Amino acid sequence: MKRAFILLLLVVVGWVLADTFSQINFGESRMGDIKQQETVGAYYLNNTVEKLSVANVVTAIVVNYRGFDTLGEVTVLFLAASGLASILYRRKKRGEHDVMILKNSSQLLQTGAKLIFPAILVLGAYVFIHGHLTPGGGFQGGAIIASGFLLMFMAYKDYHVSHNVLTWVESIAGILFVSVGIWGLISGATFLENILGTGTLNDLVSGGIIPLIYIAVGFKVAAELTGVLETLLNFKTEK
Amino acid sequence: MEILKYIGSFFVLLGSVFLFLGALGIYRMPDVYNRLQAGTKSSTLGAMSMLLGIGFLQPDWMVKMIVIIIFIAVSNPLSSHALARGAYRAGLSLFQKEKIDAYEKDYKSMEDKEL
Repeated sequence: MKRAFILLLLVVVGWVLADTFSQINFGESRMGDIKQQETVGAYYLNNTVEKLSVANVVTAIVVNYRGFDTLGEVTVLFLAASGLASILYRRKKRGEHDVMILKNSSQLLQTGAKLIFPAILVLGAYVFIHGHLTPGGGFQGGAIIASGFLLMFMAYKDYHVSHNVLTWVESIAGILFVSVGIWGLISGATFLENILGTGTLNDLVSGGIIPLIYIAVGFKVAAELTGVLETLLNFKTEK
Repeated sequence: MEILKYIGSFFVLLGSVFLFLGALGIYRMPDVYNRLQAGTKSSTLGAMSMLLGIGFLQPDWMVKMIVIIIFIAVSNPLSSHALARGAYRAGLSLFQKEKIDAYEKDYKSMEDKEL
């Protein structure tokens, strides 16, 4: 009886999937002619630069046209980070010790890390501030900043970042993202509507809410990934 | 402007020769330390002269290229040092039959100091 039910369920699921896939013409060019605005991709490519004055079309799609989706992505990352922290993070008990890094690294690496670390932070901030002008954006800049913190964790075994500070940075960045969206609602448009003036192309302050949101996303991703690294490196074990 | 073009092309060619030698060294050398030597030393010089050549070909980019060159000059020796030290600590042996291990004494004394 149970097996028959499972078989029936498999048949139903398979039929639904096959029916869905049979309606898609795989291999067909869905972009269409770039000049004719019949597809959404052609619309993005033809209109982004004039309407939003944003040079990086990918950023415009991620933050402007599909901003709600990005909010979901940031939430997924937040849930992953906090899930990891809730499983692994706990205070050190008596008789426990850090497993990952037992020895200090060499003095050469420590000095060099101290020298390079600010440069990495500046590069990460540059990448997410200029997300609407150059390739890159909030996620990439945040990952670069977290890699700088990873360098410091590797070089100094006693280097720690306070979880409280990370949580505050992350929360404030998330609140900034959502409140930019609600600002759109208040001013009579939709959630995450680009309500600010778009400015001129290739200016730093242009593109409306896109730089604001990407700065928030950059801080949020940097704080989350640094928190993940901190949690993983300070995994405690019984001796 | 013509002379800048020739200087830039020369540096790009030099850089590509060094990068090729580095790739050959990584393929050909017997153990991890020799490979590190071949890979990092040549890629430092290769990448640096490549960037310098690009700077000569496009004089507007010269400042950026010099910044990148400084970054490579700082970071590449550090990474090769850390890799070699990690390999030594992991116990990877030398290739030669008659070993000349000058680092061993330093390493032992450092271990004693730390523990």
